[in-house]
Amino acid sequence: MLITMLILTAIGLTAAILIYIVNVVVPRKVQGLEKMEEVNEHLPGMDCGACGYPGCFAYAQAVVKDPDELSNAPCATLLQVEENVKKIEAALGITVDTESLNKKALVHCGGKSEVICDYSGIDTCKGAAQLLHGYKKCPYACYGLGDCIDVCPQDAIFMDEEKDIVVVDPQKCNGCGLCVPECPLDLIELVPAGTKIAFLCSYGPLKDIPGREKCQYGCTHCRKCFKACEEEGISAIEWDKERALPIIDQDKCTLCGKCIEVCESNTLADFTKVKKPKVPALSA
Amino acid sequence: MSDLLPIFIRMITTSNIVLVMYLGLCPFFGVSKKLGPAISMGLAVTLVMTIAAIATWVINYYILIPFDVEFMYIVLFILVISSLVQMVEMTIKRTNATLYNALGIYLPLITTNCAILGLTFLNIREEYTIIQSIVNGIGAGVGFAIALIMMSSIREKLELADLPKSMKGLPIAYIAAMILALIFVFTFGGVV
Repeated sequence: MLITMLILTAIGLTAAILIYIVNVVVPRKVQGLEKMEEVNEHLPGMDCGACGYPGCFAYAQAVVKDPDELSNAPCATLLQVEENVKKIEAALGITVDTESLNKKALVHCGGKSEVICDYSGIDTCKGAAQLLHGYKKCPYACYGLGDCIDVCPQDAIFMDEEKDIVVVDPQKCNGCGLCVPECPLDLIELVPAGTKIAFLCSYGPLKDIPGREKCQYGCTHCRKCFKACEEEGISAIEWDKERALPIIDQDKCTLCGKCIEVCESNTLADFTKVKKPKVPALSA
Repeated sequence: MSDLLPIFIRMITTSNIVLVMYLGLCPFFGVSKKLGPAISMGLAVTLVMTIAAIATWVINYYILIPFDVEFMYIVLFILVISSLVQMVEMTIKRTNATLYNALGIYLPLITTNCAILGLTFLNIREEYTIIQSIVNGIGAGVGFAIALIMMSSIREKLELADLPKSMKGLPIAYIAAMILALIFVFTFGGVV
């Protein structure tokens, strides 16, 4: 028994020491790869694949080859850390417009849509979407089965039990966009990180399905938010006449909350105040 | 020496590690969509198999058998192979950028792939000498590469085929793999 343990320990230690020796002996600087190594050092190193490359080192190689890739396929996790962005900018000799690249995911649904039938099929949103546009009254209502929760590397998406939908916590979300293709209803959109007012409805073209009206919480196209904003003298909301929806100019918005107040169907919400509730510790 | 060529050919054909022994099926289906990555993967597997064959032979005959702890071979082999591959990857990455790019991310990924571990167990079960183990490793790697390259060529063509929706992608790949395996078992089984 003792010999067994000793041998295992000895071989493990030898392997560790050998790796260390190789790490020290083999020269660190290689022609053609120094820059990639330098960039790679400042990347998150978790190989999440959100940028579209198989790993962080592959991304570093692509960025060194073509610095524009940093803007075309931005690394969302990197953008959260100002310091590392600066270091990579210095290494490549370029500047990146962090403001415009920084995004947050937003689920365009207000929830509370009426459940019209019992669903006991496959426990994923994609499964539910295959069956006659799901089991909620609105064909654009979030099912809340959590396909997006499973893929989120930041653990930023949570289930809002009261509304029966998923909600993204903008403080935790880093806008990597892995959740966007997961939603079979295309409810998730990447919005600029500075978004103040969120529009929570996606009711759209599938209007002629009998029994699938919009829920009572969807946008009623009443223009009250538009008028309220005008009256306040801010005019941050424009009215899209074709789709009959408000377009919110997030730069002009002062977050006075008037539009949220007047909206009778609770379609508008303060995006900055969304927060993931702390999970209560499991008690025995 | 005269038994080396038969070992080599046997590992490519009648004992092909993927198509006859059914080891390493995960990369066989995962990396066989395109020809380029398949060649990289085949190269990486051949390299790691050769290294693993040498390392595990030394461990087995100079540590496990003298100390009478052969029952630990699975744990020790995994440990040794994965740390060796770490070292090789580090060295290649810093000395030869072209080779590193050719092998890509597959080198660290296959450290404890079942094909590699299976090959080292096979070496011990057959009681091969070190030369035979090396040849066995190279043969298994080449066999793996050939299977992967054949499969990826077939799958590239299958992409263009007019298939029913339910057969597209993996289902037809499984059928192609079955036919390939049948060819390997029966044709080569009769010849070699």
